Amino acid sequence: MNRQWRIVLALLAIAVVVLSACTAPAAPAAPAGEAGSEAAASGEAMAGDKVLRVNLGTFPDILDPQKSSFVNEIANLKMVYEGLTRQDGELATVPAAAESWAYNDDATALTFTLRDGLLYGDGSPLNAERFAYSIRRNIDPATAGEYASITDEILGAPEWRGCGEDAAACEAAAAQVMESVKASHADGTACTGYDDAECNTLTLTFSRPAPYFHVVSSLWVTFPAKEELITAGGENWWLDAANHIGNGPFVIDTLEQGVQALYTPNANYWGDVPQVSVDFAFITDSAVAFEAYKNNEFDIIGLSAEDLEVVQADPVLSQEANIYPGSCTFAVMFHQLKEPFTDPKVREGFARALDREGWVTDVLRGLGSPTLTWIPPGFPGYDGEESRWGFDPEAAKQAIADSSYGSVENLPPITMTFSDTPRNRTRNEWLAAKFKEVLGVDATLDPVESTTYTALTKDINTAPQMFILGWCADYPDPQNWLSVYWKTGAFGERIGYSNPELDDLLVQADTELDPAKRAELYADAQRLLTDGVPVAFMWNNVNSYLVKPWVSGIVQTPQDSGWPGDIAPWTIDIDTAAQSQ
Amino acid sequence: MIPVLLLVALITFTLMHQAPGGPWDRDPSRRQVDASTQEALNKKFGLDKPLFVNIEGGNPLDSQFFTYVGNAIQGDLGPSYRQRGRDVQDILFEPPKGKAIWDSRFGYSMRLGLLALILAALLGIPLGILAALRRNTIFDYSALFVSTIGISVPSFVLAIFLIIILAGQLNLIKIIQRDWSSPGAWLVPAVVLGFGTFAYITRLTRNSMLEVMGQDYVRTAKAKGLGGRVIITRHMLRNALIPVMTIMGPALAGLITGSFIIETMFGFPGSGREYVTAIGNRDYSMIMGTTLIYALLIVLANLTVDIMYGFLDPRIKVK
Repeated sequence: MNRQWRIVLALLAIAVVVLSACTAPAAPAAPAGEAGSEAAASGEAMAGDKVLRVNLGTFPDILDPQKSSFVNEIANLKMVYEGLTRQDGELATVPAAAESWAYNDDATALTFTLRDGLLYGDGSPLNAERFAYSIRRNIDPATAGEYASITDEILGAPEWRGCGEDAAACEAAAAQVMESVKASHADGTACTGYDDAECNTLTLTFSRPAPYFHVVSSLWVTFPAKEELITAGGENWWLDAANHIGNGPFVIDTLEQGVQALYTPNANYWGDVPQVSVDFAFITDSAVAFEAYKNNEFDIIGLSAEDLEVVQADPVLSQEANIYPGSCTFAVMFHQLKEPFTDPKVREGFARALDREGWVTDVLRGLGSPTLTWIPPGFPGYDGEESRWGFDPEAAKQAIADSSYGSVENLPPITMTFSDTPRNRTRNEWLAAKFKEVLGVDATLDPVESTTYTALTKDINTAPQMFILGWCADYPDPQNWLSVYWKTGAFGERIGYSNPELDDLLVQADTELDPAKRAELYADAQRLLTDGVPVAFMWNNVNSYLVKPWVSGIVQTPQDSGWPGDIAPWTIDIDTAAQSQ
Repeated sequence: MIPVLLLVALITFTLMHQAPGGPWDRDPSRRQVDASTQEALNKKFGLDKPLFVNIEGGNPLDSQFFTYVGNAIQGDLGPSYRQRGRDVQDILFEPPKGKAIWDSRFGYSMRLGLLALILAALLGIPLGILAALRRNTIFDYSALFVSTIGISVPSFVLAIFLIIILAGQLNLIKIIQRDWSSPGAWLVPAVVLGFGTFAYITRLTRNSMLEVMGQDYVRTAKAKGLGGRVIITRHMLRNALIPVMTIMGPALAGLITGSFIIETMFGFPGSGREYVTAIGNRDYSMIMGTTLIYALLIVLANLTVDIMYGFLDPRIKVK
């Protein structure tokens, strides 16, 4: 017996030795638990003493301003880089790298004037030629960025992007874009290169009036990553933190794949220099992130629906919950070319059968807000007055009775297609139950794999008869909500939506220079869109985070990318005494 | 070995292209990649070529499948469609600048997997032996109890349980590791990763020991008057460990390729999550690459086990 135990103990000892040999080629052995704090301490030493620890979820697949497209990627890019303009806490577009901008008389050209003495994080000068490079690189078919089409207003951009094999066409379109995206001195004379300190003017020429383009110019696709670093680094230049020399409020300190991205304040930033460093971690499991937050290892994490009840029941955590409107609107989409939703009365019947309040309480557990309109609250163009097609069981039944089908029995079979996750199952079961309860319709559930769902819903021919889908803003302007989505041939085409009257109105709005008149035209357009009940507007998402009480000065907006406060990180401060307790 | 890998490649390739959607599909509630950009991307990555055989003239082997196989043989697993600018072999095997191959994604997973397997074997085999020797005692029941838990409790439950106990309650570890070069950080992920295998090894060792204990040659050895230890180590163990060895190979291949659960829960920078996310992302070359690497490891592990049999039992010869 004793001898056997000795063997076991000996084996255990071997295990411990193997364990340390196996894991740490060179690192000094440290007791578990101290390693993390040591790393944090070294980060703190570099950054003053204030480090904001944020869980960002998924590590970026790509950190290239002209190729990235996901929220977690943009959150990282926004630390190091800054566009020509940016949004403030009210989502108004304000000067950033450009101190001012002006449109020509018909808004077919936009001229930015850059701030004097702009510097990159490494102290090197930043001039208009850098921005010209970035915008051209975004259009260049060789880049083939996911958001390349967002600058299509620029004269020659769609032609260059789509020039394909035709070398002559490519060359001509590229030359056109070189002219349409032009850096110059204030007096209009040509710049001499990236070192030309007087090169402070950037002129964009459009193929059509685009009085909203200064808003687009805040997007990450204009972020001025350095050409020489991109060229030298090749396709994966962005992997190396040393290549991310930017003009944003932070400089990158550490970029470790899947583990950490640490940003320290950029002393060369033109504006207020941030007071804290920001340390992103990438824990995708919300339960683990929640435990780490409770264990004071994070200052900010996303609050998931699963943890909401626990948080609300807890006297301390409930005070730290931070729930505010998001940037998306979701709707039950009806395919306008598939029976029975070809009939507006049927669409009206289904739209009025939906109890949005109940949906938000029962299904979303409060993480959402009901809506009857397209543009979400907090965004320019929100219509708080819209009250049509809300929940009304009697009116719902009446609408079906008034439809060309006459009664529910005559409706063809109704199928609801969704991406097969437990959450979506609950959602669609709830919808089906509502349709049954209010209208007496038996809807069939059709779950499909998630990428299959995406593929199906993209195409007018394969888009299902009825499904839940939404739109999340690229930038805060009604043009992005209405023209980009509902114009004939745009994203709304997937459900066969086409309304020439709306198209005309949107063209007017898109080209109107007077802001007040423009806003009015978009408001009219949104009402016109709702007239025909193309879809049943359902809910707006919310941003939900847990934020420790020692973090102050967070400016939050519906457009936040990945964490609250990213729109003005320089106002954030930390009470380190409370944090370290 | 080569035909097995080719067959795996063919089946995987066919299945993944049968699934609707492609690598440029995005969250349907956001801006989609524009059609002409998609065309440019397809061209850039060769996705505009026919899938299997080029019947449009030219070289019939100028197809996606044969191009892939041809490149894969030369060690080029193709560009990832999601992590653009990087090749699959770079994502998996290339260490960060200035570090050794052990610090690559695969290196991390391999070290953790090895550690987990060593822990599982070093604890599981002795526990199984002791449980068999002390059959129907409280020790045996305890061992069985632990191993039943190990087999039935999913690793994500064990992971969150350990995190809550060790970090939340006892404050022994940090939940969020920012420095994986310290050995302490590896212990909990390794325990979670290896626990199921440990439980399986324990049960298997116990069962095969019990089977061996009833054999004639053990009785003969006892009759010869040999000591208990000699019988256990020389006569019983060598035979009892054969089934255990058999499962060690595939277990090793499974453990060292990484675990999605471990990586999402501990933020461990391994290669396991690629196996899962690549499928949803339709990152075709990543799906092919990870599947082929897994298949290759399984084949190699089984080969190694076959050779090991020879040492444990001289009657088994590798031909």
